[in-house]
Amino acid sequence: MGRLGETMLDRIYQEKLVLSLISILGFLLLWYAVTDLFGLMPAIILPSPEKVFFTIYEKILVPVGEEKLFGHVGVSLVRILVGTGIALGLAIPLGILMGWYENLDAMASPIIEVLRPIPPIAWIPLAILWFGIGLGSKVFIIAIGVFFPTLINTYLGVKFVEPLLIKAAQTLGAKDKDILWEVIVPASVPLIVAGVRIGVGLGMMCLVAAELVAASSGLGYLIMLGGDDLKPELSITGMILIGILGLIADRMILGIERRVVFWKKE
Amino acid sequence: MNGNRQTDKLVAQNVSVLYEKDETSFLAVDDVSLSIQEGEFVVIVGPSGCGKTTFMNTLAGLVRPAKGKVFMDGEEIAGPSAERGVVFQQFALFPWKTAYENIEFGLKYRGIPKEQRDEIVRKYIRLVKLDGFENSFPHELSGGMKQRVAIARVYANRPQVLLMDEPFGALDAQTRTIMQEDLTEMFMTEKRTVVFITHSVEEAIYLGDRVVIMTARPGKFKKIIRITEEDLVPDRRNLGYDEVVNLKEFRDLKGEIWGLIKAEILEKHIL
Repeated sequence: MGRLGETMLDRIYQEKLVLSLISILGFLLLWYAVTDLFGLMPAIILPSPEKVFFTIYEKILVPVGEEKLFGHVGVSLVRILVGTGIALGLAIPLGILMGWYENLDAMASPIIEVLRPIPPIAWIPLAILWFGIGLGSKVFIIAIGVFFPTLINTYLGVKFVEPLLIKAAQTLGAKDKDILWEVIVPASVPLIVAGVRIGVGLGMMCLVAAELVAASSGLGYLIMLGGDDLKPELSITGMILIGILGLIADRMILGIERRVVFWKKE
Repeated sequence: MNGNRQTDKLVAQNVSVLYEKDETSFLAVDDVSLSIQEGEFVVIVGPSGCGKTTFMNTLAGLVRPAKGKVFMDGEEIAGPSAERGVVFQQFALFPWKTAYENIEFGLKYRGIPKEQRDEIVRKYIRLVKLDGFENSFPHELSGGMKQRVAIARVYANRPQVLLMDEPFGALDAQTRTIMQEDLTEMFMTEKRTVVFITHSVEEAIYLGDRVVIMTARPGKFKKIIRITEEDLVPDRRNLGYDEVVNLKEFRDLKGEIWGLIKAEILEKHIL
C-alpha cells in the first residue's frame, strides 16, 4: 500500500481509538452518575467506580485470604494455563487423527457426541471427588471447557481440507503419512486456531465457575467472597481482572493466528 | 487389449465414468478407448463440461472408472502416482509453502538429497521465469505466476507421463507462447508422454501429435486427428508458434477442428 493509503488508514484507526476511549469514559461517567453523583444505587448494591479502584489498589497491597490481588491473579493464571495446555495437547492430536482415520472417527464420535453437550460445570462434583479441591479439580474443569471446541474445530479443519491439495500431493508422490503432516495439518491450522480461541473463552468461564464452588484463592474466589461478605466492590474487582485476562488471552491468540495463518488471503 | 502393447504407455479401455452430484448421478464419460504411445503428445479438446478433465483424472488414478480399465505400461492404474504428474487447472499450490517449497515438494519423496533438489528447483524456477519470486507465497503471486509454479512443480518431479489440464489458461498471450515453445522443446529433448487438455484449437494443433475431439456430455470421442502420423502440418516442431499459425495447413486444420466443436455445441444446445 502506498504512503497515502497508510496515512488514511492511520487516521481511520486514530478516529476509532478516540471513539473507543469516549465510550469507556462515558460508561464510567454513567456508573459514577448512578452511584456517587445522584445516589440512585446504594453502595451496598453497586459501589461507585472510585470505590472499586480504591479496592483494587488496596488489595494489591493487602492480602485477601491467602493472597494479595496479584497472587490471586497468578493462581487463576496457572490454573487456566495448565488446563488449557492439557486440553490442547489432547484435543488437537485426537481431532487430527479422528479427521484422518475414519475407523477412529467411528469409534470415538459416539462417545464425544454424548459428552460434548454436558456443560463443563456439571463435572464439578465429580472433579472434586476425583481430584480434591486443589489445583487438580480446577484444571480438570477448565480442560473440559477448552477440549471440546478445540477438538471439534480440529476435526472439521481436517475434514474441510481442499481435496485438490490432497490430490496434488498424491500425484507428486506423497504417501498418506506425508500428506497428513505436510498437507492436512498445515491446512487445518486456521480452524484449529479458531477452535482454540473459542475453547479458551469457554475455559475462562469454567475457571470462574470452578473457583466459585470450591476454592480459597483465585479470581473466582474473590468474586464469591465479595458476595458472602457483602462487599460487591471485591466481586467487581475480580470480574474486571477476569475480563482483562480474557481480553489479553484473546488478543494473544489472535496475534498467533495472524502469524500462522498469514497465507489465508484471497 | 488392442494396439501394440510394447510401446503403449497409457491405455484406456472402454472407460465410462459416473459422476455423482446432489444425489443424482450422470454419465460424464461414455465408453471411450484410447492407446497413447510412449513419447506421444495427445491433446484433448471439446466443449466445456464434456468430461475432458474427468477422463484425465482416470488416467491420473484420481477417479475410478465405473466401467472399463486404465493401464500404464500394461499394469492397471489403481491410484495416483508420481509417475503421472498432473498440472491442475486450479493450480492446487500449497498456500503455506513458498514457490520454492512448492516446486521442491515432490522431490523430497523421490529421496533426492538437499543440494541436488536445490539445483533442480532453481533450474525450473529459471525455466518458468520466476527468478526473484522463490520466497513468495501463492497469495502474493498473480494467476499466471501461480500457474507457472504449478507447471514447474510437475516438471521438476520428472514424471514419465505429464497430464496437463489447461495448464496455460491463466497466462497472458506472450508468456503462453513462450511456455508452449518451451514445452515443445522439452517434449522433443526429454521424450515424455503428455496428455494435454485445452480450449485453444491453435494450441492443440501446435502441440499435439494427435488431437482428440470430444463430444458434449456424456463425453465420447468424436474424432481423433493424427497430425504427426499423417504429417498434416509439416515441420511444425521446428518452427516457432507465430510461424506455425500462419501456415495454410494449420489454418485449414484449425477450421476443420473448430467446425467439429461448433457442430457439437449447436447440436446439443450447450450455449
